[in-house]
Amino acid sequence: MSAEIRMTASPPSKTAPWKAYFSIFRIELLQKVQYRIAALAGAATSIFWGIVEITVYTVFYRYADNNAAGIAAGMTLQQLASYIWLGQFMFLIQPHVPGEFTQKITSGDVGLELCRPMRLYRHWFARLAAINLSSLPVRGAMVLLAGIILPGGYRMSLPASPAGFAATLISAVGSLLLCTSYGMFVTSVRMNVSWGNGPMFILLLVPGVLSGTYLPLQLWPDFMQKFLLFQPFAGYADLPIRLYIGSLAPSDAVWAVGLQILWSGFFIFLGNLIMNRQLKNIVVQGG
Amino acid sequence: MQQIYLNRIEKAFTVSVPQKGNRLRGIFVREKRKVQALENITFSVEAGELVGYIGPNGAGKSTTVKVMSGILNPDGGECRILGRTPWREREAYVGHIGVVFGQRSQLWWDVPVEDSFQFLRDVYSVPHGKYLDRVSQLSKALELEPLRNIPVRQLSLGQRMRCEIAAALLHSPDILFLDEPTIGLDAVSKLSLRRFLKEENQKTGVTILLTTHDMDDIEALCQRVMTIGHGKLLYDGSLEALKEKYAPLHRIRARLSQEWGSEKGLPALAGLSNLSIEGDTVTAMFNPRDFPAPKAAALLAEAFSLRDLTIEEQDIDQMIAAMYKEMSL
Repeated sequence: MSAEIRMTASPPSKTAPWKAYFSIFRIELLQKVQYRIAALAGAATSIFWGIVEITVYTVFYRYADNNAAGIAAGMTLQQLASYIWLGQFMFLIQPHVPGEFTQKITSGDVGLELCRPMRLYRHWFARLAAINLSSLPVRGAMVLLAGIILPGGYRMSLPASPAGFAATLISAVGSLLLCTSYGMFVTSVRMNVSWGNGPMFILLLVPGVLSGTYLPLQLWPDFMQKFLLFQPFAGYADLPIRLYIGSLAPSDAVWAVGLQILWSGFFIFLGNLIMNRQLKNIVVQGG
Repeated sequence: MQQIYLNRIEKAFTVSVPQKGNRLRGIFVREKRKVQALENITFSVEAGELVGYIGPNGAGKSTTVKVMSGILNPDGGECRILGRTPWREREAYVGHIGVVFGQRSQLWWDVPVEDSFQFLRDVYSVPHGKYLDRVSQLSKALELEPLRNIPVRQLSLGQRMRCEIAAALLHSPDILFLDEPTIGLDAVSKLSLRRFLKEENQKTGVTILLTTHDMDDIEALCQRVMTIGHGKLLYDGSLEALKEKYAPLHRIRARLSQEWGSEKGLPALAGLSNLSIEGDTVTAMFNPRDFPAPKAAALLAEAFSLRDLTIEEQDIDQMIAAMYKEMSL
């Protein structure tokens, strides 16, 4: 019997080309930017927080003994204002595991994704990248606009130099890559259905803290500075922002971006590894 | 040419059994139980066949479809479809099949159907000219033209299902797996879907394997039926032979012009079995092979004064039940 089967030639493989993954990116982005009211409401939140944070720091800077407090770490109040606005902006690309993914994982609809000739990792990577990016066109733009038009001490400064600005842009792309890679790592972990949401929340919380978007990394204790600079999540936001405000020279962009790419590679490797293992024992639930 | 070949496919799932009595014990002690979802499933399908796969809930229909579409690893056995082992060469393989799960959607919820189609065009690398031909062809057959620019979330179930089928056929697959495609559809939608599937099968020669609970689906579409129960393949053959074997009897039901008093008792009617009367309704069974339907009708008309009369085949559930009984499951 099997000899007879072997004789029927298998048709050529039809795996999806890279174009397919760009196509996913596009359709997901189109789908997500539709929610304009949500984006406006979100922008109001971001701007509110930006203003509150700058107010608090202004008070600290005015009344603290700067020399003793070590805030002389080299960040002026003006730089800090820029940091806050850019932090609010970069905060928007920080990954979470989208509801669609968790829903697909728990309901077993992930099986449908596997019915297409695509690598699930790449497929979801493209979607997640689009989702991470999707808040920027409306919500992100409003945040930056607020930073530009607000008066006095609340205003975001111009970039430290044109070269610094170019370096910021490149590093921001690196941030998107890193955020997506890490988000996919967490998604892969989440594919273990019986673990539930707990591990996922922890894995998503830590990077937020270490990204500098809650408290700029330069304001953390001195002895932690080396660690903070090289840990993966500085690449979320802190590195590109430092390039913007001039805490890092444009020439530092080489290792800053290199670091982002290195950590992205690490998480991509890990995510693929875990996902492949999960897919092997996946049980597609439901009738 | 043999396209699908399954040999002794096995699949078991492990489930935790909740502790009886003290539920808290379940935190520390888990009892695991193995559920055999597929047991020794063997069959093959030729190119261009239209096969119905039936069985009650939990029988293993969907599990078989999942194994065949490459998304579930069986524990044992051999499976060659289009010359490949689905789960081992999943990516290379799934480009040649189309899958529709009736209870799940593969379209993008918030964007127009057309966008989903274009996405699938890119996924399956369908050349643009061929894509346009195929879309217009499918749009005509499934009446999709007015739907293509509407976001999927605004479609009715019937409309969505038509779009799902079109989406699964855009890349002209060799095999189409349909898992309960007519579930929840109204009568008109069911009819048009069946008509379409039959035509598509005849025109393009696509092999179709569909699971369903709806006997009318099978009747309208399939020459061949496979029945599964408790993970075992119980029957594989023509629908006619299946009916003859497990549902040989037809049911005749008649409404009387007035209620039949219970004190009158039941008349003995040779050729009819299981005669019963409830209020003004008489039902009986007969085997049309030795006792033609007109004769059965005449017999009833003679014995009672009738208002109305219907004759029907036994439905699928009874047939399966009869089958279970025979297999002592």
